[in-house]
Amino acid sequence: MLSTDTFVRLCRARDQLRGVHDRPLTISEVAQSARMSPFQFIRQFSALFGDTPHQFRIQARIDRAKLLLALDHHSVTDVCMEVGCSSLGSFSDLFARRVGMAPSEFRRRVRSMVAVPGALPTELFPGCLTLMGPAFAIFEKQRSWSIGQTAVS
Amino acid sequence: MRIKLTSVMVDDQDKALKFYTDVFGFVKKHDIPVGGPYRWITVISPEGHPDVELALEPNANPVGKTFQEGLFNQGIPATAFEVDDIEREYERLTALGVVFTQTPNRQGPVTIAVCADTCGNLIQLYQPPDAQA
Repeated sequence: MLSTDTFVRLCRARDQLRGVHDRPLTISEVAQSARMSPFQFIRQFSALFGDTPHQFRIQARIDRAKLLLALDHHSVTDVCMEVGCSSLGSFSDLFARRVGMAPSEFRRRVRSMVAVPGALPTELFPGCLTLMGPAFAIFEKQRSWSIGQTAVS
Repeated sequence: MRIKLTSVMVDDQDKALKFYTDVFGFVKKHDIPVGGPYRWITVISPEGHPDVELALEPNANPVGKTFQEGLFNQGIPATAFEVDDIEREYERLTALGVVFTQTPNRQGPVTIAVCADTCGNLIQLYQPPDAQA
């Protein structure tokens, strides 16, 4: 079992990994501030959060970049710096790999969907069961399609 | 009006579907892509009513994330699942690498344990009084 103390230290480490520092902290440094060996830290962190600390940090950067691109009028370069990436090229590659489109394309798509300034389009930031409508529409279509197939055969 | 659907927010739907089926032992009911990277995923319990579904919702909206993490940091479970034998579940899940923040402990008539679902939530497992040995 995870003691409350270890649990709290792992939560703090998660916040540290998400934070933007002048120089990105190494995993060993984060482990040290959580008072664990790197091996122990990676194992416990993964068991609790489902990702390695390294993967978690990458995902946190992508999530923050998506939000900044959606809400602020920053350039892609600014967003890259803001999330703690030093190279625009590797940031754009990483973003494209994870999100499926380049940061500039993502921004263009979000902006075209925003009806109210400051509001996030649910297509890109779904939440609270907003996916149910589109899902059932697709489900119905598939079902009527398969019923149609049965009727033909 | 019926209660037929409940949900938990998850930080990664792929990871969640795997955990909720392979580890918790639920069965996938729906998995419908709804555009973009998101899917409408629900699971049911083979031991429960087949008509009650749990949706694994993406927590892509920052408001959802804030809420989910706030609960987590304070050790508060996002939802609770009933089990017949909590000691047995505790042993089974621990062997699968699941992390518990509370081992099975008697709280009045129920026995409760709390574990992490690896998707940003703590989950309470409870054995109700009528199932106590």
